Amino acid sequence: MPKREDLHKILVIGSGPIVIGQACEFDYSGTQACESLKALGYEVVLVNSNPATIMTDPEVADRTYVEPITPEFVERVIERERPDALLPNMGGQTGLNCAIALDEAGVLERYGVEVIGCNIDSIRLGEDRKLFAKAMEEIGLSICRSGFAYSLADAEAIVNGDDEHEGLGFPVIIRPSFTLGGAGGGIAYDEDELRSIVSQGLDLSANSEVLVEESIQGWKEIEMEVMRDAAGNGIVICSIENLDPMGVHTGDSITVAPAQTLSDVELQRLRDYSLAILEKVGVATGGSNVQFAVNPDDGRIIVVEMNPRVSRSSALASKATGFPIAKVAARLAVGLTLDEVENDITRATPACFEPSIDYCVVKVPRFAFEKFKGTSEVLSTRMKAVGEVMAIGRTFEESFNKAMRSLEQDMSLLGADGTLSDDESEFRRNVSVPTPKRILYVIEALRRGWKVDDIYELTGIDRWYLNRLLDIVRVERWLAARRLSDISAVEMRAVKQMGFSDAQIAHFCGCSELEVRAWRRAQGVVPSVKTVDTCAGEFPARTSYHYKCYDEGPSERRDCDRPRAMILSAGPNRIGQGIEFDYCCVHAARALHAKGYETVMVNCNPETVSTDYDTSDRLYFEPLTFEDVLDICDIEQPAGVVCSLGGQTPINLAARLKEAGVPIMGTQPEAIDLAEDRDRFSSLLDELGIAYPTSDVASTYEQAIEVAQRVGYPLLVRPSYVLGGRGMAIVYDQAHLKAYMDEATRVSSDHPIYLDSFLDSAVELDVDALADGKDCYVGAVLEQIEEAGIHSGDSACCMPPYSLSDSIVAQLRETTHKLARAVDIVGALNVQYAVHNGLVYVIELNPRASRTLPFSSKSSGVPLASLAARIMAGERIADLEASGELPPEDRDFGYFACKEAVLPFDRFPGSKMALGPEMRSTGEVMGIARTFPAAYAKTQLAISYGLPLDPSAGKVFISVRDRDKRAITAVARELTLMGYRLCGTTGTAKALEAAGIPCESVRRTSEMRPNIGTMISGGRVCLIVNIPGDPSTREDFYQLRDLAVRYRITNVTTLSGAQAMVEAIRTARDSDMEVFALQDL
Amino acid sequence: MNQLLSQGTPKALLVLEDGTAFEGRSAGAEGEAFGEVVFNTSLSGYQEVVSDPSYAGQIVAFTYPQIGNYGVCKADMQAEHLALKGVVVRDMCRTPSNWRSEGSLPELLAAEGVVAIEGVDTRALTLRVRESGTMRAAISTTDLDREHLLARVRESPSISERNYVADVSCAEPYQVAGATEPSAFARSDEPRATHRVVTLDCGEKRGILAGLAAAGLDVTVVPWDTTAEQVLAYEPEGVFLSNGPGDPRVVPQPAELAGELLGKVPLFGICLGHQMICQAAGATIEKLPYGHHGGNQPVMNLLSGMVEITAQNHNYGLDFASLGPIVPELSGGYAEHEADLRAWSQRHVAPVVANERFGRIRLTHVNLNDGTPEGIQFLDLPAFSVQYHPEASPGPHDSAYLFEAFRRLVEGDPDYLAIDVREGRRF
Repeated sequence: MPKREDLHKILVIGSGPIVIGQACEFDYSGTQACESLKALGYEVVLVNSNPATIMTDPEVADRTYVEPITPEFVERVIERERPDALLPNMGGQTGLNCAIALDEAGVLERYGVEVIGCNIDSIRLGEDRKLFAKAMEEIGLSICRSGFAYSLADAEAIVNGDDEHEGLGFPVIIRPSFTLGGAGGGIAYDEDELRSIVSQGLDLSANSEVLVEESIQGWKEIEMEVMRDAAGNGIVICSIENLDPMGVHTGDSITVAPAQTLSDVELQRLRDYSLAILEKVGVATGGSNVQFAVNPDDGRIIVVEMNPRVSRSSALASKATGFPIAKVAARLAVGLTLDEVENDITRATPACFEPSIDYCVVKVPRFAFEKFKGTSEVLSTRMKAVGEVMAIGRTFEESFNKAMRSLEQDMSLLGADGTLSDDESEFRRNVSVPTPKRILYVIEALRRGWKVDDIYELTGIDRWYLNRLLDIVRVERWLAARRLSDISAVEMRAVKQMGFSDAQIAHFCGCSELEVRAWRRAQGVVPSVKTVDTCAGEFPARTSYHYKCYDEGPSERRDCDRPRAMILSAGPNRIGQGIEFDYCCVHAARALHAKGYETVMVNCNPETVSTDYDTSDRLYFEPLTFEDVLDICDIEQPAGVVCSLGGQTPINLAARLKEAGVPIMGTQPEAIDLAEDRDRFSSLLDELGIAYPTSDVASTYEQAIEVAQRVGYPLLVRPSYVLGGRGMAIVYDQAHLKAYMDEATRVSSDHPIYLDSFLDSAVELDVDALADGKDCYVGAVLEQIEEAGIHSGDSACCMPPYSLSDSIVAQLRETTHKLARAVDIVGALNVQYAVHNGLVYVIELNPRASRTLPFSSKSSGVPLASLAARIMAGERIADLEASGELPPEDRDFGYFACKEAVLPFDRFPGSKMALGPEMRSTGEVMGIARTFPAAYAKTQLAISYGLPLDPSAGKVFISVRDRDKRAITAVARELTLMGYRLCGTTGTAKALEAAGIPCESVRRTSEMRPNIGTMISGGRVCLIVNIPGDPSTREDFYQLRDLAVRYRITNVTTLSGAQAMVEAIRTARDSDMEVFALQDL
Repeated sequence: MNQLLSQGTPKALLVLEDGTAFEGRSAGAEGEAFGEVVFNTSLSGYQEVVSDPSYAGQIVAFTYPQIGNYGVCKADMQAEHLALKGVVVRDMCRTPSNWRSEGSLPELLAAEGVVAIEGVDTRALTLRVRESGTMRAAISTTDLDREHLLARVRESPSISERNYVADVSCAEPYQVAGATEPSAFARSDEPRATHRVVTLDCGEKRGILAGLAAAGLDVTVVPWDTTAEQVLAYEPEGVFLSNGPGDPRVVPQPAELAGELLGKVPLFGICLGHQMICQAAGATIEKLPYGHHGGNQPVMNLLSGMVEITAQNHNYGLDFASLGPIVPELSGGYAEHEADLRAWSQRHVAPVVANERFGRIRLTHVNLNDGTPEGIQFLDLPAFSVQYHPEASPGPHDSAYLFEAFRRLVEGDPDYLAIDVREGRRF
């Protein structure tokens, strides 16, 4: 069928901010969808609140609304744009949920918007476990024995049985309905766990419903990525096997594609089931993911779930096979059939086929438990990973080793370097209980001679995988028995074919990584280039999607006359380094391609746009380690390598690459070192006469005490060379300092600790700028809404600054210009400032693109990342200013853009939830409006808590430290005037009453019940303003924060945050908030 | 298995006719194998592949690198014994894991005397075969001298010089009972009567027998050289011509048999059987550059417009134009043959030719990867055939409806091919 001509304008919903379980894979799929719909001639309208996405670049869609993905705002967009159709299945669960809400609100019918790609009933059927169970039964497929519970009593009856039903018995799996990434689910082994997981699940479920299910832990978990078109053709793109058996969320599992341990008989059965399930659920067109559990003892198959949309797994499958699921799905949604869509890679065969691959793909999740101390690291059915890496190799062994080194978490030696806990009594537990490091303990058990069968019994990890890991261990032993010079070329190649890095070989042979490199190169053991081509070599590939391996066949790299520009992207998503840097790298690739370069992207993160084979001229899906990157440099001989757009990962490689003779584009390693070496940077600031907080370094506790006495408390302490504020803290006294030092030595043993005077109550600012070695251009000045001390990544901010005078802003720009020149930045830079009592202090200079660059670009309308790349390629700022591509720095914007961070605390029960200098947010949203409060209000509405707009919904609880008591009265008065009733802790209530503001006094959570805790759990509080003071109130503070997360109550923890919040509430109540298309700004 | 871990395993050498050589290690029986090298792109189903009699005379290279992972079991064998010459893999698994596994693949290969080599860059091999076409090759664990082995490869007979069908066909007729319980495609859930068919065994896969039996057909399997008279003596309600190995142009008897049976009894052919029926109609059979061997080939059913993902294993194919001139009035008004048959799938037209001997023949299936013919249907007599493998084994089950179509043909249903693929997905 040809494409539909009755549709003209299509609305695409994105997935909003990056959260755990819903990350940049939806930027990848959404961007593909928008671009392919546009290419087919449709006008595309996009709604997505996440500014750090490629899809929200103004040129991707025709009309881009960076607005909250709520039914109210999307309705406003629909009202303005009048689309013919809505494509909801590219934006993850957020997109689907929004579509359902729009349907239920009658919006779709009112405006005559047709849902394409899937229909509302099929979304419900896929998501509603009860309907799904019934549908599966109707086509003769088994699902888990289970029951739905709407209360704790229901759940207990399901587990223990009642008059009519036999109970499931423990353990049981609890899955709340309508949540993403299995949020709120878990495994309960006893009554206590049942109670806690069920009550949390009921809270989180959109319809207060949880499924209580028999445990099939230990079964194989297999996913099938399936596509279907309007003609009824169905294809399986990829099978994915979880190395971790059922019981660990697939997002938290090591997964392998294709499935390794199933025979064709079993796999084809799963294929038949998958296609039948799509048919039954009524997936109109597009991609879906079906998950199965397979009993390893008898092959019994249970359908676990299906997602009628693109997903993290479909992004993985796309990267694993080269088959662009989202791109094809978008075309199918407008009526094309699979046979009418061309396979991009062969350009000779249709998309209606099932990819065959001739390599093994391993995905390993990356966790961030170090950011959430206090929470359990045990993995379960609730996803906790913040990112993932994928590796391609010829065998599982090779891919696994590549993946482990791609993680950048010191796991590349697989635990052979003594990084594992030496607590012997815990060893068995560490092998059997799934945690991020369990795989290392499994390997260690193999090293210790444990039998594969015994480990299988403990872990449920299929023996095939255990035997492959054992092979890796046997090669470790082989290496350990040799010196480097004993290893022949043939043997070296065999070792490399197992995926061993030079560093791994060096570890076992007792030499250095560079010696291994030199030895193997001298022997001619260098990698060859293979191609991901969807067809296992059956047809020629037209694209250059590559991986390295040590097979001996000829290199498949195509020669090229154009100079190569290599871009190193950011690796796995982690807190502090994620989609923002990928965004920058994608821009660089496009900009450099336009300048005539053959662009070469290197990255190992399957969720990203940068690893789309379309983004660059050449893609190497490879680990971002020195060895792997240098190997690719040897192969491609780039004219320059861009290291300053992918966050800290490539920055850390720059110096070594340059030393190895690789030309670095833009800011040189010497300049990077100048900016990052605190002593040298401080001297530079002294020379330039620029103020910065007093600071010093210390390597021991005694030194630190001495520094503290000199500089004075409070102090901001941190280890050197950090990203995302890892290991940072503000210490108020000596006891704090001691506690920090005890911890910090574990964080970074080789580097000293920095102690900076902390500017209490200062305003912090982020400046994103470009420089060409001569001139500098300040792209955006962002004012943080939270006071200094909150990591800039976790703080809300506003562009342009809303509370600073023009002269201060001008001073910031001038200082930035001075610094850029002095450090010799070529490309992007970011400077963090604090303004304290009218004085400007430099906190730090990042000689690279910052996390805020996408927000700065989007809010200022200047594509800073692209321009940074062009400057690195030799363009001059003066020329860009002359041509108008860089508008005047001091122009009047006429609007405000706010950014708010999204925090994952609901995933990590038990961890401390206060904001501080350590970054813990996973993503961000943006709001644009004519006024600051309205823009800020939009950001609050865009994150899931929403704004407490209804005074009858509960009281506002206020508890502030003494020095804010005067300032809070204005906030309290405003709330009272709007009709809110207040309550507060004794001190705060007294202060407010004294100012003539009625405020009920309530007890703290640590005091006798009833107290504020019981009020919150009783649903009688709608907003919490809780600004912690001295350490003695911290425990109360944490408890409140826990409660706020659990009961989804907005919780403001800073004075300026409270002021902004109250203004936002007033704006949202008083005015109908307008929506803006970026193209109109 | 990595060579550091398999020390003591004999070395092996693979040499292609064009001089390309790959060193590796023995992964099956020791010795030597000469044959035609082909690559198979299936991700799973290595056991069904190595036991497929159609590979007689061939050396099969698997494009998926790690082979043998889930072991082997009797139930998945496609024939009693392995007929292929040799096996080439990148990495052979000696520690398989699966509840159905009864042994390892290298053990099976060794027990069956099949020479195999591992440690080969099978992707490089595949690209070479893709560029240079199917060619002769040898695997040896005894002659490790490249030049010497190459000289011997160049002297070795081509696959067309031997009747491999005779090697793999059964010696004596035997019976397989059809199922009375309805298949997923059956029109009612009631038990149903079986029909009597004869299949000519040119190397018939067990998956095909199972497919026929599941459609409620009582099968009498007869040797490849059975005459028409002998076949008709069974009083069959239908005759099936099986898949098989080798060059169809050098084994004329089955085609002659097909010619004698066409019109006398409903006929269905798969793969070699399809080629025999085409040859009977006077068509030309051509050798493809490197054949189709895998489980992901898209085939459009021109009658329904639906695409089936099919299992395929053939090096030879029909030249559709050689069946006769196009009949425009039955071909959407188009009068000319198309070199690339995808022109017909794009038009959604199933063209009909006028065959000198058997009347009107319709093209029913087209390969969407390369526009080659995949299935035909005789309009003036009860016969149809497909180039691909509806029994899969290994591969997707999309085309399983063709066995039911054969049953309907036997029952005299004029619309026997009008079956929705999706009906088969009932469990």
